[in-house]
Amino acid sequence: MKIILPFPPLEKGGKGGFERYFKMKKVLFISLCFCLISFGCQKKEAVIKIGIAGPMTGDQAKMGSDFKNGVSIAVEEWNNRGGVLGKKIEIVISDDQHDPKQAVSVANKMVNDGVVGVIGHFNSSCSIPASDVYNRAGIPMISPGSHQSTTTEKGYKGVFRVCGRDDQQGKIAADFVITNLKFKQVAIIHDKTTYGQGLADEFKKSINGQIKVVYYGGIVQGDKDFKMVLTTIKGEKPELIFFGGIYPEAGLLVKQAKELGLTAKFMSGDGTIDPKFIEIAGSNTAEGAYLTFSPDPKNIPSAKEFIEKYQLKYGELGPYSIYAYDAMNILLTTIKDANTTDGKTVIDKLHTMEFTGALGKISFDAKGDVTESPYVVWITKGGKFVEYWRP
Amino acid sequence: MFLQQLLNGLTLGSVYALIALGYTMVYGILELINFAHGEIYMVGAYLGIIFLGFFTAIGLTSYSLTLALFLTVLLSIIFCSSYGFTIEKIAYKPLRNAPRLSPLISAIGVSIFLQNYVMLTQGATDKVFPPLFENSAFEFLSVRITSIQLFIILTAGVLMILLRFFVRKTRMGKAMQAVAQDKTMASLVGININTIISITFIIGSGLAAVAGLMVAIYYGLVNYSIGYIAGIKAFTAAVLGGIGSIRGAMFGGIILGLVESLGAGYISSEYKDAYAFIILVIILLVKPEGLFGRGV
Repeated sequence: MKIILPFPPLEKGGKGGFERYFKMKKVLFISLCFCLISFGCQKKEAVIKIGIAGPMTGDQAKMGSDFKNGVSIAVEEWNNRGGVLGKKIEIVISDDQHDPKQAVSVANKMVNDGVVGVIGHFNSSCSIPASDVYNRAGIPMISPGSHQSTTTEKGYKGVFRVCGRDDQQGKIAADFVITNLKFKQVAIIHDKTTYGQGLADEFKKSINGQIKVVYYGGIVQGDKDFKMVLTTIKGEKPELIFFGGIYPEAGLLVKQAKELGLTAKFMSGDGTIDPKFIEIAGSNTAEGAYLTFSPDPKNIPSAKEFIEKYQLKYGELGPYSIYAYDAMNILLTTIKDANTTDGKTVIDKLHTMEFTGALGKISFDAKGDVTESPYVVWITKGGKFVEYWRP
Repeated sequence: MFLQQLLNGLTLGSVYALIALGYTMVYGILELINFAHGEIYMVGAYLGIIFLGFFTAIGLTSYSLTLALFLTVLLSIIFCSSYGFTIEKIAYKPLRNAPRLSPLISAIGVSIFLQNYVMLTQGATDKVFPPLFENSAFEFLSVRITSIQLFIILTAGVLMILLRFFVRKTRMGKAMQAVAQDKTMASLVGININTIISITFIIGSGLAAVAGLMVAIYYGLVNYSIGYIAGIKAFTAAVLGGIGSIRGAMFGGIILGLVESLGAGYISSEYKDAYAFIILVIILLVKPEGLFGRGV
C-alpha cells in the first residue's frame, strides 16, 4: 500500500508538486461545492418566500427601514397564526440602494431565490425597471411607495401599488392652490428625478392657464446650496413655491428661502412628509408648509391597532410603514384565497379582490392602481404634520 | 439681485478656497494630489456636530455660545490635523520615492476608507446640525446677509491672510517655500523635509476642518458623501488658480463660487455643477498653468 503524503515530494524542474497539489485541492473544492448546491436543491421548500426590495442603505435608508418594519409586523402576525397554506412565511430582504441597476440585479436574484411575490420597490425609478423582471417571471409585485404615474403604465398585469399616483397628487395640489389659496403666481422647482419632476410636471399641467408659472427649473439632488435659484425666484415674486422632490432638499429650500427673506408659501408632495424635513428647516421656518399626502393613518380607525403595535416595537411610525403593512397583507390574503402561490392565479385574483386593511378598503383597477384617489393636503403646524384640507 | 448672487457666490467660494488651499499646499511640496483632502473636510463637519452636541449636553452652549463655538473650532482643527498628519505618515511617506501614480492611488484608497469609516460609525443618513442661534439677517443695499454668511466670509478671509503671513514671513513658512522649490537643496541647507511635509498636512487639514465646520453650520445638514463633490470642486479651484500657488487657490475658489452662483442664477440651476468644469476646461485650454501658476 502506498502512503499518501500530505504534500507530494517536489519534482526537479517543471511544475512543482505544490502547485499540482493545490490544483487537485481546487478541483475537490469545486466538486464539493456542487454537491452542496445539489443538496440545497433537493431540500423541498417548507416556507413561502416573499421578496422585500427597497433602499435599505444609502441616503434613503430610513425609508427602507420604515418599509421593512411595516412588512415585518404583517409577516409576524401571519406566522403567529400558522403562516399561509400551511407554510411559514419567510421574507427575502433586498437592498436596491435606490439605484435602478441595482434594482434589476436584486430583482433577478430574488426571482432565482424562488420568491412567490415581491413587496416593493420603494422608488419609482427602481420599480419600473424591476417590473420587467417580475413580469417575465410571472410573479406579482406590490409597491408601497412608487407614485410615478408610469409605474403601472407598462401594460404588465402583475404590477400593483397601494399608494396613489403622482398625477393624482399634482392635481389635488393644483386644486388646492386654485380653490383654497387662490394664488395667482407660483414658482415650480423639481429635483430632476422621476418622482420629483413627474410631480412638478403634473402640478404644472393641472394649473395651466389658471395660475401663472413665473419660474420652472430643476436642482441637483444631494446639493446643499440653493440660494442661487432662490435668489432668482425671489426676483419673480411668486406667492407659492411648489417643489417636486424629497425632504432633505425641501428642508434646505425652506430654510434658505427664509434666510433670503422670501415670503412665498411652500408646497410639496408626499416625499417631504418626514420629521427630518422639519428638523432640517427648523420648526419655526417649516411652519405653514403645505404637503399633499394620503390621509393621516391616525385618523383612520382601522389603522389604530397597527400603529400601536408599530410604535411599541419600532418607535415613530414612518410615512410608508402602513402601506408596506397593507401591501403584505393583501398579497398574503390573496395567496390564501387563491389557495396557491402560482403567479398567474394570484395576479388574476389581485385584480378582482376587495381588501379591508389598516388603511381601509383597497381594490385595484385594471392597471394595478388603487381605485380611489387617496390624497389630501397637510400642513406643518407646531413642528408636526397635520391634515388640513380634503378635496 | 445681482449683488445677492455675488454674495451667495462669495460665501460658497470662500469655502472652496479654504479647501483648495490644502490641495495646493500639498501639491506645491510633494507634487501629489491628495484626494483624501475632501474627506478631511467631511470629517471636520462631523466633528463639529459631535463636539457641539457634547458641549450642549454638558450645558456649555447655554452658558456661553462663543466659548463653545471656539472650543469646537479648536478641537475640530486639532483632530483633523492629526488625521492629516497620520494619513501622510501611513499612506504617503512610505511611497515618497515610488512612481508618481502610487501615492495617487494610495490617496484614493484613503478617501474611500474615510468615507466608509464615517458611514459605518455615524450612519448613512443625513445628520442635522443643531440650530445654535437665531440666524439673524440684515439688509444692506437690498442684499440680505445672514450672520453665518458674514462669519464664513470673515473667517475665511482672516485665515487666508494669516496663512499668507505665515508662508511669507515666518522661518517655517520660508522653509516651506524652499522645500517647494527644491527638496534636495533645502535638505542640504539644514531644513528637515519630513517636518515641513508634516506641517503642510497639518495646516491644510486644519483649514479643511474649519471649512467643514462652517458648511455644517451654514447648511445645517451633513452626510458622509459631502467630501467627494466638495473635494472635486476645490481641486478644480486649485487647478484654476494654478496648482501649487497659494494666491491661486484663494482666487480660484472665489472665482469658482461666483461662476456657480451666477450661472445657476442667470442661466439654469440644473447644470450648476457643470459650470465649474466648463470654466476649468476653458482655463486649461487658454492658460494651462492656471491663473497664477508658474509656466511649466
